Amino acid sequence: MKSIAVLAVATAVLAACSGGGAQSADGKTVVNVSLDPGLEQGAIDAFNARVAQFESANPSIDLVPREYKWDATTFTTQLAGGTLPDVFTVPFTDGRGLIERKQIADISGQVAGLPYAGKFNKEIAKAGSADDGKMWAVPIAAHGQALHYNRTLFTQAGLDPDKPPTSWEEIRSAAKQISEKTGQAGFAMMTSGNTGGWIATTLAYAFGGRTEKLEGDTAKSTVDSPEMVKALQAVKAMRWDDNSMGANFLYEWGTINQDFAAGRIGMYVSGGGNYGSLKAQNAMKPEDYGVAALPLTGGANAGVLGGGTLAAVSAKAEEPVKAAAVKWIDFYYLEKLTNKDAAVADAKTTADSGQAVGSPELPVFDKAAFDERMTWIAQYVNVPVKQMTPYTDKMFGQPLVPEPTRSTQQVYALLDPVVQSVLTDRGADIGSLLNGVRTQAQALLDKK
Amino acid sequence: MRGGGPATVVFLLPMLVVFGLFSWAPIVQSVVMSFQETNLVTAPTFAGLENFRTVLADPLLWTAVRNTLWFAVLALLLGYPIPLVAAVLMSEVRRFKGLYSTLAYLPVVIPPVVAVLLWKFFYDASPSGVFNTLLGAVGIGPVPWLQDASTAMVSLVIEATWAAAGGTVIIYLAALTSVPPEQYEAAEIDGASVWGKVWHVTIPRLRGVLLITFILQIVGTAQVFLEPFLFTGGGPANSTTTVLLLIYNYAFANSLGGDYGSATALSLMLAVVLGVLSAIYFRLTRSWSAS
Amino acid sequence: MTDRGVLSSFDWRRGRVRGAARLAHTVLLVLLFLAGLGPVLWLAKSAITPTQDTLRDPLALWPNGFDFANLATAWTRVKIDEYFLNTVWIAAGAWLVQLLVATTAGFALSVLRPRYRKALTGVVLATLFVPAVVLLVPLYLTVVDLSMINTFWAVWLPAGANAFNILLVQRFFDNLPREVFEAARVDGAGPFRLFWSIVLPLSRPILGVVSVFAVIAAWKDFLWPMLVLPDPAVQPLSVRLPALQRFIELDVFLAALAISTVIPVALFLAFQRLFLNGGALSGAVKG
Repeated sequence: MKSIAVLAVATAVLAACSGGGAQSADGKTVVNVSLDPGLEQGAIDAFNARVAQFESANPSIDLVPREYKWDATTFTTQLAGGTLPDVFTVPFTDGRGLIERKQIADISGQVAGLPYAGKFNKEIAKAGSADDGKMWAVPIAAHGQALHYNRTLFTQAGLDPDKPPTSWEEIRSAAKQISEKTGQAGFAMMTSGNTGGWIATTLAYAFGGRTEKLEGDTAKSTVDSPEMVKALQAVKAMRWDDNSMGANFLYEWGTINQDFAAGRIGMYVSGGGNYGSLKAQNAMKPEDYGVAALPLTGGANAGVLGGGTLAAVSAKAEEPVKAAAVKWIDFYYLEKLTNKDAAVADAKTTADSGQAVGSPELPVFDKAAFDERMTWIAQYVNVPVKQMTPYTDKMFGQPLVPEPTRSTQQVYALLDPVVQSVLTDRGADIGSLLNGVRTQAQALLDKK
Repeated sequence: MRGGGPATVVFLLPMLVVFGLFSWAPIVQSVVMSFQETNLVTAPTFAGLENFRTVLADPLLWTAVRNTLWFAVLALLLGYPIPLVAAVLMSEVRRFKGLYSTLAYLPVVIPPVVAVLLWKFFYDASPSGVFNTLLGAVGIGPVPWLQDASTAMVSLVIEATWAAAGGTVIIYLAALTSVPPEQYEAAEIDGASVWGKVWHVTIPRLRGVLLITFILQIVGTAQVFLEPFLFTGGGPANSTTTVLLLIYNYAFANSLGGDYGSATALSLMLAVVLGVLSAIYFRLTRSWSAS
Repeated sequence: MTDRGVLSSFDWRRGRVRGAARLAHTVLLVLLFLAGLGPVLWLAKSAITPTQDTLRDPLALWPNGFDFANLATAWTRVKIDEYFLNTVWIAAGAWLVQLLVATTAGFALSVLRPRYRKALTGVVLATLFVPAVVLLVPLYLTVVDLSMINTFWAVWLPAGANAFNILLVQRFFDNLPREVFEAARVDGAGPFRLFWSIVLPLSRPILGVVSVFAVIAAWKDFLWPMLVLPDPAVQPLSVRLPALQRFIELDVFLAALAISTVIPVALFLAFQRLFLNGGALSGAVKG
């Protein structure tokens, strides 16, 4: 009997506290908001300061920060288990899937009321919108892929850190030089947790290829395009002919950042705005950091893979929570892009706590708004801006191509083992491996 | 005192509740789910044998089965003789016996996750990795360890053996004390050598325990998860994807909702295989403890 | 007869055998030192060594001095204390639930012996043949349905559904002298008194065995707590450490690993006999 009673009480208590937000005892609306895991103390302080500012402006809302970061391999447990914070972020790739399955709350009504609702960049707005154009998830950041490099390793290898590679041949020779002179990995690549597919797709785009072809309602997988083959062959040459890719071939987003910040990697490809995370989570030394535009090759079709982040609200959130959540999205993620006072307040708080202000990013709205914001926050920019010019000088000139739209993460997952094979098996047959993936990817695209 | 009065029911309640909710119901549910298409969003629909067909058609399944068997074979090759030899030797130690067993058992006490994370660092494949530095001192390597499809699984098994051997040693040591000294004396009267005694007296007395550790190890390795999940995530190129990791991936690794049908279907198939093994195990233990 | 093994006192007197045995024992001892103590000592060393030294030459002893701050950073920023406490809570609760379920069920089935005893025992024991893997998904969904995600109950209660415990306890109770129960009944003791004042005190040895198994299992578990405790605030060390690895500098991470190792190793060294006997017992019981 006892255990039944315990069980009943426990269930009741849990039901009360585990749900997606609720009313607290003093009648406030409680909203769980996302905080990146593993932050340096300064970054946590900056976040808490923003929370306090929000709460004093909205006395009826009680924010509860919760550690959260989107991760392909754990997101679904959080989604199924109903343990996501009320406000959470997902990559552009998952937005439409979540909306189609109604796994996030429809906040389009509240979003439509925001002053800048109609001003989102059209391409970018699509990632968070349903077929009817209603915005269920709000784009908060956009980025293009870039080539990150360690200036100190460049110098040690006898390379000029102010003249990073501008072609894949130069990347290859720089990688070789770095690994020969410093013993560290010249060029490293992510391969695990869907990131292998993400980077492989990035390279295929840079070589002028695409991984899917949309024809009306049907999609055709082209993961085995000649451009993808060429891109992977370039990687293979660095790995096996030059042995310039180090010794770790199981990197994912977090671990490659960590090794890069620790000075074990010369160059790698990742999102252009990565510096903020490197600083906040891996204590990257500013003097080591450099970033350059991804070299494009293979003609007019070549482009930079662009992605971004959406803010969404838990499907379980009730009306008051939804309203409060959208207020927070506006306050924390977007107002700083559109409103001078908010931009300055955000930049000041972030800079005061020693965190990065001014990492390269792409406009979520239009270029004019973006440039205007840059002038607002100019005095707080504390990132090594000059070391970023090899990227920032070129980023608006490069054609930006969105990520594939159908079963994106699943196709990435299929590509992971291919990339791993290329890096760990000297005899890997790129063509036939990709051919196998195409069959499976096509099955996924047909299912939908 | 016999009967099913109210007091009996009260005493049975904790078990009925816990088993009902967390054992019997999930078992039934897993059978049901294996015939359904479920994604927790739309209502489940009957799918017949579709899940089983999907799983059997997945090229990864056979990779996973092969990997799991390969793990089991390696684990037997390494994990089976080493503790036995160590235990037989240790049972002969006359001084500092306690030191031997303490040292042997120490790895068992280290939390398994800590052990894996520590070994992951030891396995650093660059020439300055811990193991590669050690091997480099005697002119071997650098070995790619986890970073190569041909060595990754072996590396996993070495760590798993290291982590578990101490426990098996202690079990064997206990069993060795049960060998009656008279049997050794009888063998000595027959003129048996030291090896003869080990082979004809010690090993036969241990037969029961050996058989049991053998089957327990197979049942255990079929459910390996921690090592591939934390060491390699199943890579490189799926060379360490085990059956349990595949089940996990079906259910939990797709960011847009799991394929619970396929996961349970594969679980059930694995369960049938393991059930047969467990049944053999129980037969054996019963006949062994009866003798 | 004195206690002896394969080698007789005669063997020990033979030079060749004795030499070989000594040699084998010395080699074994060296190997055990390397394998058993080596990793622990290395971890202890690296916990107080700066990252770059550990990366460049992992086997050198403090080429550039110590870095004791790692330990403090691990304790404060990584919050090892919190996760350790969670681990303790999880183990304690799982232990209690398992003990409660196993003793009450064992008592009911073995001492009170209802008519449906056979059938019920069969249904319980049948679950022994179902590997834990099968339960993974449906059990997870059950826990989701009961809104137990992110609470310790999600670990505690499923731990109670352990047929092996019930089997052990039931077998032990079966062997208790039934005359004692009859005598107690004549004295007017009801089933609850009988359970609390007679059966439980008599069954200390088996409760010890179940306890050791319960605590060790709870402390080693990884997959299940990882699934049902996604909120870092309630995670045990085993789940938290792999997640932290990506965000923490190597030296601090190794310090965190060292701290998480010290406590169980210290417990082991203090209560060696209990561990080793428990380990041996697990063989005897499984056998």
